[in-house]
Amino acid sequence: MDLLLYFWLLLKASLFSTGGLGNLPILHEDLLARGWATDRQFAEALAVGQISPGPSGLWVISLGYLTAGWAGSMLAVIAICLPPLAVLAVERVYRQLQNHVFVEGFIRGLSISVIGVFLVVLVRLLQANGMDGRALAITIGTIGLTLTRRLPVPVILLLAAAFGIILYR
Amino acid sequence: MAENSPGLDVNAKGNAAHPRPNSWTLFRLWLAIGAQSFGGGTATQYLIYQAFVDRRRWLRPEEFAHSFSVCQLTPGINLLALTILLGWRLRGPSGVAISLAGLLLPSVTITVLMTALYAGVREHPVVRAALRGIVPATVGLGLLMSWQIAKPLLAASRSIRNGSLLVDLLVLTTSGLFVLYFSPPIVAMLLAGGTAAGTYGWLRARTASRVETG
Repeated sequence: MDLLLYFWLLLKASLFSTGGLGNLPILHEDLLARGWATDRQFAEALAVGQISPGPSGLWVISLGYLTAGWAGSMLAVIAICLPPLAVLAVERVYRQLQNHVFVEGFIRGLSISVIGVFLVVLVRLLQANGMDGRALAITIGTIGLTLTRRLPVPVILLLAAAFGIILYR
Repeated sequence: MAENSPGLDVNAKGNAAHPRPNSWTLFRLWLAIGAQSFGGGTATQYLIYQAFVDRRRWLRPEEFAHSFSVCQLTPGINLLALTILLGWRLRGPSGVAISLAGLLLPSVTITVLMTALYAGVREHPVVRAALRGIVPATVGLGLLMSWQIAKPLLAASRSIRNGSLLVDLLVLTTSGLFVLYFSPPIVAMLLAGGTAAGTYGWLRARTASRVETG
């Protein structure tokens, strides 16, 4: 694995997306195409990112560790810290651009596109994991439980793990 | 006033409205926020607001709101952008480094350690079964999050112009279907989605102003 290229792929995904999971579709495409990551590693990293503290965007650090060890996780830290630095430049031009219709529409369209792609990636993760009634039940159950706001997300994931052990072992 | 508050340097220029916290205070604050930030971004934002606006009044509520909306337009993790922007406002370049380090030190350390522990047991049959349960749950959370992101965007479109909502829905379905059937380069497709919605907004605004003036 070429670590420099690997770093660039992490950086690129973060540069062309907003939010903690916006970089997922781009990384999924780039790393799977080169055989540097598997669907399973993506799923594992996402789960760790949800359970661990901090912004959910830190899932990339977990992916870095799973795919390229300690070096991978450190490169991931750098790759997610650099793009947000652009905020200092964005702040300067924001006042002039905030009423600009093209920019406003562009950002909205970009975010919506990300969601369209994201949905496909989610379905692919589900398929790679083995799509069956049990999996769908867990998916729907998670959505329902989360919407009630009774349980914190890490607890819901632990419950899902318990169900996994019961249903799939 | 600034002189009475512990942990503050009095600004050399005597600007009492924006007292500068000293490095150590700033680092400790971010460290506390980073260590308590279980449960994703929203909880963390709240902690930041509490620490910087409510308790210490280093920022006015409207300054915080402005910073927050600027961060929505910034590439990468919004919360990191917010951390960088607040750090910059309070202490300049060193403030950025201190704030990022404070926020990330606890959470990155825990994330890496958890992954390392997990990597040691990932082939165990029980762990594999547990993961098979966790993946669909993660997908469920992802679906919810997509909805949370999409809802305000679509609502904004609906309230501005009729056609805009239709364009949004078209962009959403087209990008999904394209990825599903043609696997185009993702970045190019995201840019195309943005350009389509941007151009549409611009054209509509131009026609609207023509109707008004003509």
